[in-house]
Amino acid sequence: MTGLLASGTLLVLGLTTGRVDVLRWGIVLLMLTPVARVVVVTVGLLARGDFLFGLISLWILGVLATTLSFALHL
Amino acid sequence: MPGIWLLVAIGAATGLVGSLLGLGGGVFLVPLLTLAMGLPIRSAIAASLVSVIATGSASATVNLNRGLVNMRLGLTLEVATTLGGLAGGVTSSLLTQRQLFAAFGATLGVMGLIMMSRASRRNVIPAGEAEPGLFGGRLEEKGTLYVYRLKRLPVALLASLVAGAISGLLGLGGGIVKVPALSAFCGIPIRVATATSTFMIGVTAAASAFLYFGRGDVSLPLTAAVVVGTLPGSLLGAHLSDQVHARSLKILMALVLLLVAVRMLLGAL
Repeated sequence: MTGLLASGTLLVLGLTTGRVDVLRWGIVLLMLTPVARVVVVTVGLLARGDFLFGLISLWILGVLATTLSFALHL
Repeated sequence: MPGIWLLVAIGAATGLVGSLLGLGGGVFLVPLLTLAMGLPIRSAIAASLVSVIATGSASATVNLNRGLVNMRLGLTLEVATTLGGLAGGVTSSLLTQRQLFAAFGATLGVMGLIMMSRASRRNVIPAGEAEPGLFGGRLEEKGTLYVYRLKRLPVALLASLVAGAISGLLGLGGGIVKVPALSAFCGIPIRVATATSTFMIGVTAAASAFLYFGRGDVSLPLTAAVVVGTLPGSLLGAHLSDQVHARSLKILMALVLLLVAVRMLLGAL
């Protein structure tokens, strides 16, 4: 929820001031929210000893990291 | 760019309906932005993907607190979804847009009819009569504890594969395919299906959204305006979903499927 609030605040600020850099950071922060969620879930599963689903969660994290890496090189 | 308040209102409406039904809202948003507002398709898809992340994240926050999200099921299906996304990227060049619209529209139409016909079926068993299994769970409704079990895992995985494929192509989160499949064919209660879907669609959309953002397809002011509406809309939808009867949710979902199917089939003509 913190990430959403921060993102929403930046977007409202960016729209009211017309600052594109603020908008950009607001959207980047929003796009990283699911990544943060998967990281938390992965750590939680592995810490609980649920290795099967922890590995599944790591796979998803890997896919997200790969697409993020592609995007940064575009 | 269309009026900012109009975009905020559109975001709020799509967020509200989307989070009620476990969708990201892209099924409404992309046609609205392209057909009604004349925006380029890539900008509309990019804005839709970011909006889906907002809907998914906001709804997930509420649904996680309610204990409705089936994390194991969601994570497993997300593996199929990510593979579907890769397959979609490969096959997108093999299909024309008309063929894609026709196939998608026909599939949604059939699913809508099946969902309507099964609207009165319940997917829960009183607790104590069964064990939930690896992908099942427990659900409390009006003070009574129920158990549900996943049926037909291959169907759920196939639906997730298709959801992944269409996600990047059409700017959707994939919930439009996953939720009806889980509810109508796989024994998952509609509230769990919608909650689990909203948890995962943000992840699905994020994978594609990064690519659109990297290519410069995200129109920042337009996307920001839509998201500013989506966030409160989807939070409200997630809170309201608890008040709506499960059968009503299924009927609403079926109507949405049929509406989108008609829209897609018309687009294929």
